[in-house]
Amino acid sequence: MKTLINIDNGKKVKILKISGGKNIRQHLQCLGIHIGDVVTLKKRSFLGGPVLLEINGYDVALGKGVASKIEVEEVE
Amino acid sequence: MKIAFIGQPNAGKSTLFNSIAGYKTVTANFPGQTVHYTVSKVTVANETFEIVDLPGIYSLTAIDKAELESRKFILSGQANVIINVIDASTLSRSLELTLQLAELQVPMVICLNMIDEAKRKGIDINVEKLSNIFGIPVIETIANKGIGLDRIFTSAKEAFYKNLIPKIQYFHKDIEERIHEIEKILPAEFTSKIPKRYTAVKLLEGDTELFKEIDRYPEVLNKINEIREEIKISHGRHTDTVISSERHALTMNIFEEVAKVVEPNKTLREKIDDLLTNKYLGYPLLFFILFGIFFIVFEIGKFIEEPLINKFDSLIQQLPEYVTEDSFMFFILKGLLEGFSGGLGVAIPYLIPFFIGLTILEDIGYLPRMAFLMDTVMHRIGLHGKSILPFIISYGCNVPGVMATRILESPRDRFITAALSVFVPCAARTTIILGLIGAYIGGFAAAGLYIFNLFVIMIIGTIFTKFIPEITPGLIMEIPPLRIPTFKNVFMKTWLRLKDFMIVAWPLLVISSIILSLLEYLNLDLFLNKLFSPIVSWILGLPEQTGITLLFGILRKELSMIMLFQAMDTTNLNTVMTKIQLITFTIFTIFYIPCVGTMGALIREVGTKKTILITALSIAIAIILSIIVRFIFSILYNS
Repeated sequence: MKTLINIDNGKKVKILKISGGKNIRQHLQCLGIHIGDVVTLKKRSFLGGPVLLEINGYDVALGKGVASKIEVEEVE
Repeated sequence: MKIAFIGQPNAGKSTLFNSIAGYKTVTANFPGQTVHYTVSKVTVANETFEIVDLPGIYSLTAIDKAELESRKFILSGQANVIINVIDASTLSRSLELTLQLAELQVPMVICLNMIDEAKRKGIDINVEKLSNIFGIPVIETIANKGIGLDRIFTSAKEAFYKNLIPKIQYFHKDIEERIHEIEKILPAEFTSKIPKRYTAVKLLEGDTELFKEIDRYPEVLNKINEIREEIKISHGRHTDTVISSERHALTMNIFEEVAKVVEPNKTLREKIDDLLTNKYLGYPLLFFILFGIFFIVFEIGKFIEEPLINKFDSLIQQLPEYVTEDSFMFFILKGLLEGFSGGLGVAIPYLIPFFIGLTILEDIGYLPRMAFLMDTVMHRIGLHGKSILPFIISYGCNVPGVMATRILESPRDRFITAALSVFVPCAARTTIILGLIGAYIGGFAAAGLYIFNLFVIMIIGTIFTKFIPEITPGLIMEIPPLRIPTFKNVFMKTWLRLKDFMIVAWPLLVISSIILSLLEYLNLDLFLNKLFSPIVSWILGLPEQTGITLLFGILRKELSMIMLFQAMDTTNLNTVMTKIQLITFTIFTIFYIPCVGTMGALIREVGTKKTILITALSIAIAIILSIIVRFIFSILYNS
């Protein structure tokens, strides 16, 4: 299963599952990140650090730990 | 009439608030900048409005401490009208909060702010349709340019007098049935003040705070858990995810109905943004930006400070011509002049350029980009990227730095970040570093001291992480678009921050200076110095007179240096202190004890016990580091 960590820069992906505890799940939901959303992985920082996502027209940064808990599939 | 401004972080609430209330809150292009709420009274057309600026919240599910405060205020029912401020360029997500606010059933106005930014992103919003969907007034504003602000009060009045309560947007039928089931069994105390629906939905979502309260009614709790479990089985997802998805679907529908989106061109802004967060180039840019600011502050400061201080010095020298030397009046005047010039020498030359620099960085939106860049590094000391904000603010002043730790989610992160923040040399300590090390030893030595300081902070952070392991999943943060700072906002924010220094710190400086002068007059300073001499002379190897300056430094750090000039009776310290003594003194003052103001902020944020712990730790670290430095430099200079 692919997570946000295994995605190349510039690819569009669909969020399939958010694992991890309630806190991280709710935090992502509050920021408008939901299962089924299509997001673009804009870039990845140094040493596989945080990733920058574009979702519905705004940007969200996710640390490596969080990104590894979001399962996705590539679209297009 | 009490009006509360509520909206998601970075929607421009504070800017809006400031433009109508006069400048009272500090705004920034960083999510969660408003860490405490500000109340102000405004009179428009013979009617007085009380307006409240609340910390931004993404949702009524509170994630961090600042959000919890907002939520508590909203639920307290104090507001007669809610103004839901929305960043129009992120309309679809922002509406998720609007749906939740609607459940509170309070007269409301939707304020679509930053309409210009939405247009730039190619989003065109039909205001009338949106107004019809919720049945409440919808206004468009561009707060930083002052456009549309006049309509805020008229529409708030309209909503209040016509009792325009937002229409609830309903979920799918099966979920609505479940909500209804919970509404029916809710104990009376939960429904008397707050609408049933709000409580029922929040309970379905498994809200931690509400669950603590409902704990007293085991049958109700059991039933709710049963319903949650059933939904989880029938939908195959956690109930909170189900509700959140329902809300998401509703907002997407509303968004499609009211907004037209065209693909925007890649703008210059985005290209700059791309560069600032570039994997490789981002780091040298970060270094140059920060280094540039400190360099400019230092150069401008030096340029202005010298003539300014010289003027006052000559005035003090001439003092015996007007008042009898060594009389009571003479010491009072001397203390007054020295305190006044000390404050002037700090505030005008160094603080103003520093505050301007910090404000511009904030308003552009560079700080969250720094958090993105530094995330990996911060994980090394067991924190994540967001912690960089309190650190950077602490370079200005530790007090707002410590307060900014509220944007962090876990108590552990808040504690470690607050504890490390107090070691960051604030503007006051910067003047000491520049005034003692920069002036007598050299600019490179001063820069070296900053790097040494960073190094020590990283080591302390690593040690903390050893004892309190990292449990947080890491960085989850919105990166707002780059914005062009407006001159007015930069000016007003700098003034606001400077005013703080002038009305609180400066008088304190003058008074302390007079007290010290009087102590000298009464020969009490010698007694106090004797008292501290074991630490000052034996351990630190400093002149005995410096003891009293360190005591005053607890009030305000820069007092240590200003008092040092006083205590040593000269502004040419290199004639009375060796380089080793200057270095030891500076290092000790950087680390030893947070100032009174910072301690106050610490007590508020992490509690008294932890504040005492941090204070004790800082004294221990200061002594250890001073001994090491003294020892190493003694060997270096003697060989």
